[in-house]
Amino acid sequence: MSAVLRQHAEQQFAEELHELKRADSRPRPPNWQLSPWAVAKYILGGKLDSGFEVTPKYIGNTRTMEIAIATLATDRALLLLGVPGTAKTWVSEHLAAAISGDSTLLVQGTAGTTEEAIRYGWNYARLLAEGPSMNALVPGPVKIAMQTGKIARVEELTRIPSDVQDTLISILSEKSLPIPELNSEVQAVKGFNVIATANNRDRGVNELSSALKRRFNTVILPLPETLEEEVEIVDRRVKQIGSSLELPAEAPALEEIRRVVTVFRELRSGVTLDGKTKLKSPSGTLSTAEAISVINNGLSLAAHFGDGRLRAPDLASSVIGAVVKDPVQDRVVWQEYLETVVKERDGWKDLYRACRES
Amino acid sequence: MRVTVFGIRHHGPGSARSLREALRALNPDVVLIEGPPDANDLIALAADAQMSPPVALLIYLPNEPKQAVYYPFAEFSPEWQAIQHGFAQQVPVRFIDLPQSHQFALDSDSQKESLSNSSKEIRRDPLRWIAEASGYSDSERWWDQMIEHRRDSTEWFKAIMELMSALREEVAKLDDSPADTREDLREAYMRQSIRAAGREGFERIAVVCGAWHAPVLQTMPAAKTDTALLKGLAKVKVSATWVPWTMGRLTYSSGYGAGIESPGYYQHLWSVPDEVTVRWMIRVAQLLRGQDLDASSASVIEAVRLGHSLAALRDRPVPGLSEYNDAVRAVFCFGDDTPMQLIAEKLIVGELLGQVPDATPSLPLQQDLQREQKRLRLPPNATQEVRDLDLRKPNDLDRSRLLHRLRLLDVPWGATEHATGKGTFREVWRMQWQPELAIAIIEANIWGNTIAAAATARARSEADRLQDLPALTALVEDALLADLPEAIDHVMTRLEQVAALSNDIPHAMEALPSLAGVLRYGNVRQTDTAMVQQVVDGLVTRIVIGLPNACSALNDEAAEEMYQRLVQVHAALLTLQNTDLLSDWNNVLGQLVDQVGVHGLIGGRCCRLLFDQKLFAAEEVECRMGLAVAPAVEPTQSMAWIDGFLRGSGLILLHNEELWQILNQWVHSVKGETFPQLLPLLRRTFSTFSAPERSQLGTLARRGISGKTSASAGATSKLNEDRARKVLPLVAQILGLEYRQNEVR
Repeated sequence: MSAVLRQHAEQQFAEELHELKRADSRPRPPNWQLSPWAVAKYILGGKLDSGFEVTPKYIGNTRTMEIAIATLATDRALLLLGVPGTAKTWVSEHLAAAISGDSTLLVQGTAGTTEEAIRYGWNYARLLAEGPSMNALVPGPVKIAMQTGKIARVEELTRIPSDVQDTLISILSEKSLPIPELNSEVQAVKGFNVIATANNRDRGVNELSSALKRRFNTVILPLPETLEEEVEIVDRRVKQIGSSLELPAEAPALEEIRRVVTVFRELRSGVTLDGKTKLKSPSGTLSTAEAISVINNGLSLAAHFGDGRLRAPDLASSVIGAVVKDPVQDRVVWQEYLETVVKERDGWKDLYRACRES
Repeated sequence: MRVTVFGIRHHGPGSARSLREALRALNPDVVLIEGPPDANDLIALAADAQMSPPVALLIYLPNEPKQAVYYPFAEFSPEWQAIQHGFAQQVPVRFIDLPQSHQFALDSDSQKESLSNSSKEIRRDPLRWIAEASGYSDSERWWDQMIEHRRDSTEWFKAIMELMSALREEVAKLDDSPADTREDLREAYMRQSIRAAGREGFERIAVVCGAWHAPVLQTMPAAKTDTALLKGLAKVKVSATWVPWTMGRLTYSSGYGAGIESPGYYQHLWSVPDEVTVRWMIRVAQLLRGQDLDASSASVIEAVRLGHSLAALRDRPVPGLSEYNDAVRAVFCFGDDTPMQLIAEKLIVGELLGQVPDATPSLPLQQDLQREQKRLRLPPNATQEVRDLDLRKPNDLDRSRLLHRLRLLDVPWGATEHATGKGTFREVWRMQWQPELAIAIIEANIWGNTIAAAATARARSEADRLQDLPALTALVEDALLADLPEAIDHVMTRLEQVAALSNDIPHAMEALPSLAGVLRYGNVRQTDTAMVQQVVDGLVTRIVIGLPNACSALNDEAAEEMYQRLVQVHAALLTLQNTDLLSDWNNVLGQLVDQVGVHGLIGGRCCRLLFDQKLFAAEEVECRMGLAVAPAVEPTQSMAWIDGFLRGSGLILLHNEELWQILNQWVHSVKGETFPQLLPLLRRTFSTFSAPERSQLGTLARRGISGKTSASAGATSKLNEDRARKVLPLVAQILGLEYRQNEVR
């Protein structure tokens, strides 16, 4: 067991799920392993009456998770939207694990995803030998979920070609999957539902048709709410990555991380943290993940070409690289930010100079 | 006599509904309401057919209308329903709170606030404690869940009474100081009024008051203490009237202390008979469809279902506003917050505007205007008249301010006309008083009770509404003319925000000159120039960064407009004499001169501006001009460059032989077929020069053609140095310099 690099959520948190099940006396929707209340507890964490401590899986807005769970309880499909790095997949995996006890019914959306990957394919050897029959059918994840009343997950829905996406329409509205070859169909068992995730930055890849969009309730997962929350996430990840890359540099001062996160947050939200100055926002996402990579980049610069300590000049070039994605518009945004905010701020003179020079 | 006290929450539809039913059951012969007795004569107007809430009772000091209190009523206010019930049953309705005539007098007596903070907090919002104790974020949520969503609430007046009695006991323990004297006075007065009603022989007395006061009105202490307490209260003269109100001003964020967060939602709760959730979702869908957003009936169904299951997950019996909002966001808006703002504005707060009957006594704003008209000797006149105001005279300056303020309030009594003659101290107004203006004044009363206060409030709200720089700058100027310092601060803050977000460099450039003028010359009205300085700095920084982009790929017309802005911004920066800003600006001008593809007009003017400041030496200019008129450049672009460089003054050509030669040679080199094209442009440029300049240039041109370039250049440089040196002492004397022989080589 320990040889596996990463366990499924329902295995890793089996104990918590078990304890929750024991403590859970509230009504459960058909085929749900836990009541909606217990699912919320599993995701958001907290103490059970028995004193058992459930670890939080998602740190952030409680209401967002409540909407997601309530949606699944109404048998409406759930669409999780968010910029990259906002824990969409993580949330969908844990929801599926808590509700169905099974997070493996997964369709990974790519440009090459076919209808067979979603519905069913054929075992051609059997098809030739026995002719079309239920036995010759190779069920896809969605079909299995329908038959067993579980949650199916579709990752990166907007990367799937539009005509393939639309396969989901009849599954979501009629809750049945026709098999015209056998003149038969599969009808979904109660408890079946779909959680899809999509990146709302490149929505344009394969924008959902309005017919399909209407069949989902949409929940947007936001970026971290407070500066401290984000600094903590960045700090933890940077330390993990730094140790796995075995960089000879010192761990970065919290102060530098705070500066990078501040720059990112201010540009992202279009207003300075004190709320006094409005700013233009650049075209890029500036997600937490990018802040992490900026710090890492700076660390490796400092380690291999600097004195081993993370300093403003090590950060400057990668900060600019992260912010300026469009060479014309973003440059204006960045220069304005530099001249109106960075220049005036106490203790940021080194960063200002480093950014102007690079 | 039997007294029944109904403790209510101001503006609670659930309270209102229960109260209406309770009053029907009780059938009182007099209704007493916590409200200002100063307005007792006006209560009857509430039953007028023309009266439509939201409206507010306004109590003010007639000689000082800034001192005023409002008592807003919505249709779902329990007090309003109590009034309506009284008139429908034809029983007397009275207000019984401590009259404002006393309260104003107390205010001016500078009484000390001696309450501990926590108890003051509780008095302001007594339910918050209870709400927090039961795990709600604020009292409104708690009240919504407990009361407003309960449709079968007959017993709860009793429950509220018990709750409040307990709470008052707790608070009394908290207070280390003697209780709030004002509150004691108010409650004593209310009790006295109830006793008075009893003495008049009323049998079934209904008292409607805030829940907090209910317990002390139910159990009466001896009348003696109250009489003693109320003895010898000071009194001032007050006036009262009804004014129209809006839903927006019922909200807490509008600054109304007893405000609520969602008047539109409460109106919905009040007005729909059943199926609250379904009807709300349908209204949302209709609103979104009106804005061309998809909102199908299927979505309505899903939103209702999600709302219900959210409520179940949150252990609530029925969904409330927060469940509605979550469901609407997930189903209708696809997670997007933008349509939610629309819903908040149009539905949750609402846009209803109240109306008052014609019989309503005149409003303070009208009275203020009449006072001003009398003071400034500016009577309204139905025929058109032209007034020439001399702003150096105080009376005329005040008149001008009044007219500008009225214009801000959409009361166009006068319009400015262009003053003939020189001097900025004259202002010509064409004025005519029209009957519609009286209505405009009534409408404007919502902004404040004096012309100045109303204009300030209006300008502030305009500033929040406006999105583009030129409109905001115009507002700054209007506010300056109207002399509204408070409004100006706010408008400047807005201006700064908008300027930061604006990508529109031309707009920023247009906004700059007038602001720079304010900053440089200050103004007679003492604006806070630090504020303006900050805005100007920000604008210049942004212009400097954005200008190269804004100047690329311009056609002739756009270049002409940009030319004007360039000249104006430059002039503004010169008057500011801020070396930092100016050097940034000059840097960007230098950048523009050499920018590839910049329109000739812009390039030429930038070069000229730098040359005039002696930042470009003559050789540099010669080099640039040579490049601009090189054969590889389109002749029209060359012409544009020359136009930009020379427009306004040709003196530079007379003094710099080289430049003249370059230009001259270029004109010679232009081919026959393009020359007619260029001639009008060249003529236009030269026509901006003064006549003597033109004639001197003409002489120069004739010589250039006849004598050829090298000959004329040689002729001027061949000097007899000995003879020239003899003139020098005299020249030095004329110029006031000390002449020393050995300095001359």
